[in-house]
Amino acid sequence: MSKKSRSRLWFLVHSWLALPIWFFLLIICVTGTLATVSQEIIWLANPDVRASKPSADAERLSYGQVLEAVQRAEPEIIVQSISRPQEDHFALNARVSYPDGTSPTFYINPYTGAIQGVSPQFDFRQFTRALHGWWLVPFTNGFSWGWYLVSLTGLPMLASLATGLVVYKKFWKGFFKPTLRFRHGARIFWGDFHRLSGIWSIWFIAIISITGIWFLIQAILADNHISISTEGVPPVVAREDAPIVAAGGSVPRLDVDQAVAAASQRIPGLEASFVSLPGNAYSHIFVGGRGWYPLMFQSAAVNPYTGQVDSTRLLSDRSALEFVTESMRPLHTGDFGGLWLKLVWFLFGLILSMMVLSGLLIWSKRTVQATAALAKRPARATRQPKPAKPAPIRISEATESQP
Amino acid sequence: MSRAAATPAPSHLGRLWYKWRFHLSALLVIIPLAFMPKYFKDVALFRGESGLGEREVGEVQVGPWSLRLAEFRQEPPRLEGPAGYMKSFNAALCQACIGQVKATYLRIGKPRSLRAAGALFFGSPYRMGASLPIPARTKADAELWITMEGWDGSMHQASIPLAQASPATLAWLDKQGGKP
Repeated sequence: MSKKSRSRLWFLVHSWLALPIWFFLLIICVTGTLATVSQEIIWLANPDVRASKPSADAERLSYGQVLEAVQRAEPEIIVQSISRPQEDHFALNARVSYPDGTSPTFYINPYTGAIQGVSPQFDFRQFTRALHGWWLVPFTNGFSWGWYLVSLTGLPMLASLATGLVVYKKFWKGFFKPTLRFRHGARIFWGDFHRLSGIWSIWFIAIISITGIWFLIQAILADNHISISTEGVPPVVAREDAPIVAAGGSVPRLDVDQAVAAASQRIPGLEASFVSLPGNAYSHIFVGGRGWYPLMFQSAAVNPYTGQVDSTRLLSDRSALEFVTESMRPLHTGDFGGLWLKLVWFLFGLILSMMVLSGLLIWSKRTVQATAALAKRPARATRQPKPAKPAPIRISEATESQP
Repeated sequence: MSRAAATPAPSHLGRLWYKWRFHLSALLVIIPLAFMPKYFKDVALFRGESGLGEREVGEVQVGPWSLRLAEFRQEPPRLEGPAGYMKSFNAALCQACIGQVKATYLRIGKPRSLRAAGALFFGSPYRMGASLPIPARTKADAELWITMEGWDGSMHQASIPLAQASPATLAWLDKQGGKP
């Protein structure tokens, strides 16, 4: 096959990859883009989730103080965990349980311990994630087939990136001479737009598609019960550690702040971003947070009776493979570096959504012609050196060699 | 759009197909729309808004204490990989016994000792859950045993027929009997 025919073939592959599923892909991109900033959207819409400072010099309360404040305000509820969102402008989240069996999340002011609000029935963040992640198809037996449907789109996306770079001859020149022509009609504009935003989001498309393909692999592994985890069985508090208490006596338990201190002592540099309280008499207090590597969490299981750290899950416990696989999700969502990183993911998510749309617009204006042209060419011609007669469509048009 | 040469005199239907074939992926939107009621029902179930579980079994007296038992989902056990078939139950302790009960266990058949009392309930005493392995050869007249351990070292047990705890599991066991 001649070089030009091959270019044209790659061009056609590139054109047809996303086409039959363009609408699905567009919705996945748009919902994913929304999901990156869903927490911020809630922050804008609901004052309850904001961490407003009562005064300029107000200090954050410790987890123990927060727990105490919540118990004082609502003596009947049981607090199951408290977590601190990564960004300081968010209120603390406490998962609680009411005597009637409902278990909402409280939004708690980190400076005063005041319960600012209760999570609404409709959780916008969870909903966008569910829509984007598994198309709302329920998980009944292993991974939901909606998860497969969505994560499969990583394949044409990665192939689109690869073929796009092949057909866009000398694409790196586009970095130095950005071209976006507004006055030459819609076809030219969308073509320029597609190429320009494409080269600037090479890194982003690569991240999103590769991590997307990982989600597919993850589901396949899990559904075939193949584990790559080095994490052992969850720790259990030894029977002899849980004391026997005479009727009417109170059970001596470790204070939450002591547990955080024990965990911080054991894991240097730990910034405790969540505390999970024991789920029964034989379970631990879990304290966890990020370390030097912002994409992964470390945690310690603190014995609520002895105060000992019974087990830990550290960065150094992870295998090299786990470092890669556990980094996939934060890389996909962009939630490991604060607000500005989220906004970068949001912006490039928008661009990626526009890539799908502009691809469709270009196709509807041009690819039909290119396909018809290739179909008309005699089969022999593709194997022989380039015939003297001009191609039905200018090769520069088809292979994007010139702006 | 130019018409491909290979389609001579297309029918009305053919023309529609030709025009809309690449927009058919929009029909995939029907999937999340169709699952939306189920999604919100599940959200309510997980949050405890729709009760202790999908099907309430009732109050079970265990010595001086009692608990309310419910099937988390009104359905047969789910296959969970190497763990085999698992069935989830939820329970709520009586208000007075929350401070006294140290642990609550669930098991098919009478436990020989406290150390083999079965699946340990986890979560808030207002709504805790346990996942119980159900061997496929479980007999239809099997009993579900609840063991409760007190902070004072006492232990109390009670049982209810599996048929009462989960008719869906019993129906599933009946079917398992057909094939070894």
